Amino acid sequence: MRILVCFKVTPDYEALRDADWVAGPGDTVRSRYVRRVLNCFDESALELALRLREALTEREVAAGLGALSVGGRETEPFFATLHALGYERAARIEPEAALDYAPAATAALLAAYAQRFDRSDLLLLGSRCGPGDSGTVPALVAEELGWPCVTQVTEIEPTGGGLRVTCAADDGGLSLTVRPPCVLAVGNALVSHLRVPTLTDRLARRDLRADLLAPGDVGVDLAVALAGAPVTLEGLERIDRTRAGVVVEGDTPAEMARALFATHVEEAIARP
Amino acid sequence: MRFTAIIDGTIGSAVEQARALAGFLEEGLHAGAPGGPPGRPWSGLECETLAFYADDREREQLIALAPTIAVRLVRAPERRPDLLAATLAATAGEDGPDLFLFTSGQAGTEVAARLARRAGGSVLTGALDISLEPDRLLGRRQVYSNHMVGRFALTARPWCVAVDPGWAEARAPACEEHRVLSESDAIADASEPPFADLKLTDPPSAGDLAEARVVVVAGAGAGDRDGVARIAAAAERMGAAFGVTRPVAMNAWAPMERLIGVSGARVAPALAIVAGASGAPAFLWGIERAGVIVAVNSDEHAAIVGEADAVAVGDGVAVVEALAGLVAPPPDHG
Amino acid sequence: MPLSREAIVESLRGIVGTDAVVTDERILIESSVDNFRKLQNIFDVHTMPLPAAVVLPVDTGQVAAILRLADEHGVNVIPRTGGTATEGGLESAVPDSVIIDGSAMNRILDVDPYNMQATAQCGVPLQALEDRAREHGLTTGHSPQSKPVAHLGGLVATRSIGQFSTLYGGIEDMVVGLEAVFPGGEVARIKNVPRRAAGPDIRHVVIGNEGALCFITEVTVKLFPYFPENNVFLGWTLKSMKTGFEVLREVMVNGYKPSVARVYDPGDAGLHFSHFAAPDDCVLLFMAEGTAGIAKATADGIQAIVDRHPECTQVDSAYIETWFNDLCWGPDKIVAEDERIRQTRNVNRTTEVAADWSSINDIYEAARDRIVTEIPDITMMGGHSSHSYINGTNMYFNYFFNVVGVGPEEETEKYYLPIITIICEEVLKRGGSIVHHHGMGKARAPWVRDEYGSSYFILEGLKKQFDPNGVMNVGTIFPLGG
Repeated sequence: MRILVCFKVTPDYEALRDADWVAGPGDTVRSRYVRRVLNCFDESALELALRLREALTEREVAAGLGALSVGGRETEPFFATLHALGYERAARIEPEAALDYAPAATAALLAAYAQRFDRSDLLLLGSRCGPGDSGTVPALVAEELGWPCVTQVTEIEPTGGGLRVTCAADDGGLSLTVRPPCVLAVGNALVSHLRVPTLTDRLARRDLRADLLAPGDVGVDLAVALAGAPVTLEGLERIDRTRAGVVVEGDTPAEMARALFATHVEEAIARP
Repeated sequence: MRFTAIIDGTIGSAVEQARALAGFLEEGLHAGAPGGPPGRPWSGLECETLAFYADDREREQLIALAPTIAVRLVRAPERRPDLLAATLAATAGEDGPDLFLFTSGQAGTEVAARLARRAGGSVLTGALDISLEPDRLLGRRQVYSNHMVGRFALTARPWCVAVDPGWAEARAPACEEHRVLSESDAIADASEPPFADLKLTDPPSAGDLAEARVVVVAGAGAGDRDGVARIAAAAERMGAAFGVTRPVAMNAWAPMERLIGVSGARVAPALAIVAGASGAPAFLWGIERAGVIVAVNSDEHAAIVGEADAVAVGDGVAVVEALAGLVAPPPDHG
Repeated sequence: MPLSREAIVESLRGIVGTDAVVTDERILIESSVDNFRKLQNIFDVHTMPLPAAVVLPVDTGQVAAILRLADEHGVNVIPRTGGTATEGGLESAVPDSVIIDGSAMNRILDVDPYNMQATAQCGVPLQALEDRAREHGLTTGHSPQSKPVAHLGGLVATRSIGQFSTLYGGIEDMVVGLEAVFPGGEVARIKNVPRRAAGPDIRHVVIGNEGALCFITEVTVKLFPYFPENNVFLGWTLKSMKTGFEVLREVMVNGYKPSVARVYDPGDAGLHFSHFAAPDDCVLLFMAEGTAGIAKATADGIQAIVDRHPECTQVDSAYIETWFNDLCWGPDKIVAEDERIRQTRNVNRTTEVAADWSSINDIYEAARDRIVTEIPDITMMGGHSSHSYINGTNMYFNYFFNVVGVGPEEETEKYYLPIITIICEEVLKRGGSIVHHHGMGKARAPWVRDEYGSSYFILEGLKKQFDPNGVMNVGTIFPLGG
């Protein structure tokens, strides 16, 4: 089974200060100076893929792992980690323009690589990714490929001839069997951290680099894809969430609870 | 201008979908700029509801749930977003709707995205509100994990919009009158179904959270599994629903379906009591519709302090336990 | 005859009342350790003897009565406040210990902007005192990573140091006076004076005693004017730590007092700066603060020094400022890190040492190379220098390893202690100090005689003099069994 995991590296938004959240036309957030992190859902996908390969190997099913990212040079250190962890195939597609708010173009690139370059059987990726957070890339990739898609995946296990997948459906936890080729989009999986390679493994694979591709290399004309973009980001607004923030008096938990109850809680509960 | 609201009755969340669509139509659909006052601009639009169903027994309920008078019923296999998209794509085109409305979630997001791709349209998910202009649709939704709101312009039609599920709490009046325009079958697929052995395991996530008048939320400041359990017990004594922040859920200190925030549930209780949560925007999205927010946090500089109506600076577990002694459970609480 | 657990609890209740004596098993377990057994804590595996009680005195008189009781009956007591220790100093090494938790003594007693000093009880969180100082436009100048969580008693007891030490000094440079209770219940108050030459400076018997000599009830620290608006940040990438140490030395020798002066090796830089530094880059960074004139002169002087080293490539100072703004660890980051460890079994540990300029790079290289070679499953071995002096600097070794093939309870034996051993050996060989600012705790206590050499009898004399019955935090600084 050829497994391909798509991941994105983003600025660590939690490290931004209040003043960095600038409103304005276009994307005006000042995120250039913070460290980069894996999108949390993609991180789950990368670890789930490693575990899936282990489980397949136990069943004597051969499985190869590939990693793909659409992004700039800041992605390179993450590829080094993935190589050290045993990802054999790696590619980075560097677009000429930022695709943060262009899920259709991103999906076109991912699908083209999976189909034409990698000939993948199973495509894993996070259910959504910032800053755009549209959550549409998995479905759009599946649509491009003509594959079935399961979103909000939390667990993946090999089963006779297919994969047993658990996901968080709108109406409850759902498990189902799906046969590759398919797209699995990872949601709130309990597996949320990628394992860490040893220095020895890093050293052994330090010369490996991700293939660097341009959109044209996978047969996508990005200019065309973006020129016809039917969705554009007009601007960003800050959200005012300020409330009164009255700090109640009290030296003990009991006193504080009484103060909260008297000033806010009792009335809120009584309100029809 | 024409629009179609979609209810996917092949999955068990039809009630929530219908409620969110009704709420959005009541308050989220504007004629002017997004964020402006609502004015039922859609009343002049040709509007209908298309409800998919898998089980005949669901038909009557789906008709009753429809947020518009005109209803079309389409029989479809369970959990096949691809076939729903194909069926809807066949209705799009010159004479088709300008706007398809879904609810964001596992199902609606996928169908909306697939439909946009198939019909050459454009997609906006998580819509907080939209406004219709002659040549484009303007819509807002959260970006940057709810740190900001983005304004998006959609040009290519059909516009496939999945509304923010938080609209379910808007409690719009139900549409009393319905007329079934047509009944048909979804586009079939000759090949083998992609999914087998479907099994719905857990109860709907956070079902009691959506309805609760009082919600108690435990954050990482509860310290450990024990602290979270004590807050949950206090919530039960108050007759309140219990939720947790992402760090708590990821630590497996509480089940994932208790998660509140961008990647979990969004609630709108009369009162939210938040203990030991710092107030990250992704979490706040889940409770910001609460009538009153009361927070307990040991750090008086935490963001939650400015985001709450009242704050106690102290131990979240102890204060919530003390509050539980003061808040009588509602009489019907068993 | 030693007191039974029940008798200890009863006696304590007689002193502080029933509510202030905690015997809840969960609390006792949590109070039997600090972050030395981080992995065990995360996996909820507990191997330390269960304390008899946690007692929360509210005033000095109660502390004195508790210490009198302990001394009379040979009950081991462990002073504790914020609980952020990393070296096992808070572990209950023997059964039926009593944890004296000072966190209920949490009043700020005085902030005196004229004499530029503030007095606080031991259980005041540093952040709370800092916030109060800021209301007057002042700062304590003390900012360890644990600032949101640590309390003043513990900070003084461990000879803590903060991120701005190059300008403000360590806690020993900040404490002007204090109150402490000794075994037997004697209360000592050391008055607040700018300086005196009336014999040896007895503050240093208390500062850094790690609860092995006395219980600190109150401290008075210096205050400084606060001008964050003048902060200047500077950063460079470079290819060798040797050059980095050399730049730090020149900055110090020329008399500049940046509040932050650091050099990171490639491994450690990779954790914080990979968005602008190459994988084999070291990162050198500074923050200058003070009045506008001082901050500018400091920054200009540093710039001129680094400009003489062509190996250094300057980076946009916004990278450094952004890093600086996200430096402290509150409860959220601690919970997230614990979860990362639980899932990956990849553990992060640190060991900080100090040495003169001639030795520091050799210590860094020798320890790093030995650890990478001798210890299995290392995923990152690196470190940084973050506190410099005119005659030398510290090295803060920062390392990660995967715990493989052993349970959480064996992590210290298989990985952590062997690494500490290598570091201590390489440091002692070159005349450095094995502890720069975390304290000896119980982890590094076995090296105490080697650390002190012929001056050990002075240290040991303090223990004999002030804790003759050996009831103060047994095993800390002075190893169990001698």
